[in-house]
Amino acid sequence: MTGTGSAVITPEAARAVIRRGLAISAVALLGVAAVYVLALGFTPTEARQGLAQKIFYLHVPAAWGAMLAFSLVGIVSALYLWLHDPRLDLFAESSAEVGLAFSAVMLTTGPIWAKPIWGTWWTWDARLTLTLFLFFLFVGYRALRAAVGDRAERARYSAVVGIMGLLLVPFVHVSVYLFRTLHPQPVVLKPSAPSLPWEMLRTLLVSTAAFTLLYVGFVTTRYGIGLLAETKGGDDAA
Amino acid sequence: MPPEPPRNAPYMIAAYLVTAIILLAYAWSLWRRSRAE
Repeated sequence: MTGTGSAVITPEAARAVIRRGLAISAVALLGVAAVYVLALGFTPTEARQGLAQKIFYLHVPAAWGAMLAFSLVGIVSALYLWLHDPRLDLFAESSAEVGLAFSAVMLTTGPIWAKPIWGTWWTWDARLTLTLFLFFLFVGYRALRAAVGDRAERARYSAVVGIMGLLLVPFVHVSVYLFRTLHPQPVVLKPSAPSLPWEMLRTLLVSTAAFTLLYVGFVTTRYGIGLLAETKGGDDAA
Repeated sequence: MPPEPPRNAPYMIAAYLVTAIILLAYAWSLWRRSRAE
């Protein structure tokens, strides 16, 4: 039994959090499998881009999941600096790790789409460069956590880095408006109505919902693993 | 008659495979860590 902030966590309570997280993750992975069926079997092929356009149904929700994860790291980190609750630090650590997993999907599916459409795997334009920078910033966040031994210092330093990541997220989103870029402009999260046929928008929304649920499941599981490690006297579940 | 869409299915297949591998590998890593604790 150990204290995290004002609450006392038992190993059994931590294991219950893990079980809940794994169950949510399993349901969400089934949801992603359903997205595969929906995208490949029941969504029309775009005339100019061909089948490569269907990468969009994974790339965009993964990007959404990554930005959600990194934004929450920043918000929760700011709350940590205010409240000094270790549970907030553990949540930020969990969300950053899941954000990196989603970023890996975003940063691999993007170039795979770009090659047949742009004729190149990568270009150093604002959206791509800022996204890669955000990814490296959170790789640094993980490295920082691994390098600092004192728990309170580690939480404080990494909270500052997490807030810097949050500040970068809006620039990633508006970079396609601020700079000349090859990257397509938003088709859903924009001031006017979504510019997609209904069948494509439906698949994108279902996929976004599945990736959001997957984020919840992964973060809950990772948070539970961190809690369980704390009950056993360690504070690093990685 | 509308032009035929470009033939680029291998890129789509690669992206769908890579996504499945990353997500399943991370889920597997979480599951293993939850057993190890």
